[in-house]
Amino acid sequence: MRRFWPLLVLALGGLFWWGLQRPDPNALPSVLVGKPAPTFERPLLQPYRAEWGDRLELGEQVGSRPILINFWASWCLPCRDEAPLLEAYWRRYRDRLLILGVNVQDTEAKALEFIREYGLSFPSVFDPKGTLGVDYGTYGVPETFVIDAEGKVLQRHAGPVNEAVLRDMLRKAGLEGL
Amino acid sequence: MRLALLLLTLLGLALAQPPQTTPPPDLSPEVFRIAKGLRCPVCQGESASESNSGVAQEMRRLIAEQLAQGKSEAEIRQFFVERYGPWILYEPPKQGLTLWVWLSPLIGLALLAYGLWRYLAATRARAVPADVSEEEIARLEAELHQPPDPHRRTP
Repeated sequence: MRRFWPLLVLALGGLFWWGLQRPDPNALPSVLVGKPAPTFERPLLQPYRAEWGDRLELGEQVGSRPILINFWASWCLPCRDEAPLLEAYWRRYRDRLLILGVNVQDTEAKALEFIREYGLSFPSVFDPKGTLGVDYGTYGVPETFVIDAEGKVLQRHAGPVNEAVLRDMLRKAGLEGL
Repeated sequence: MRLALLLLTLLGLALAQPPQTTPPPDLSPEVFRIAKGLRCPVCQGESASESNSGVAQEMRRLIAEQLAQGKSEAEIRQFFVERYGPWILYEPPKQGLTLWVWLSPLIGLALLAYGLWRYLAATRARAVPADVSEEEIARLEAELHQPPDPHRRTP
């Protein structure tokens, strides 16, 4: 038995090494990547109705430009970190990219307060029960998906995006030089 | 009087119940049974049946809705697997790589049994008295039959 010890130690060590090589144990790959984005039709939050109508249907927006879907909630602290960045990108690139917010598990009043606080001008739909979160297989908020011009999910990012992540996601969607 | 009071206290203690853990009446126990096999995506180590998070509540609502539509348990589980992958299932499927998850305890037990058997065999072998060689016996017997040497000092 004694001569098997080095083998056992090596096997265990190999297992640990393999575990450490995995990119990020918390980053679970989305099963949606490469598949058509789940379509939805939801009411828009009040500030966006004048421009976008009462309800927004995802299918109608697919085609002209990539879509960045961002799941957020007013009670989510990391969402506060990324909100100004998303707003800045929307203001700069709104002709090349649609940023679409999905407010989940929230109350309308709190969501509107959040929108006012950060001056968010990209449209957000209201999904208080979080059904869309389940449809997109989200683990929490914030989560960001990129959908290409054909309506396929290109990428998912769980957690807040920073500028480097956002730029990388958009480069994969064919938006160079942002 | 004192005895009656004691009995009453004991009865009270016996009837004291832990807080109700049974599902609230708006959802059927079937919903909670199916939810028990599904992970709550935003929790650590809690199933969709135990968690009170918004996502878990929505999952239970979706399960109830699909049950009402006449969908089977397998179809409902598939609904969540399509969205979250097999990760959402509490019991990994018994095939492919995850088969190891099911087999590893058995392999561990087998290794333990083998180690124990080897250890016991080794201790039993050590407990058996060592054989005395023929030569040794002959020498001892010769010594016994020798007439005592008067000049030899006995210890």
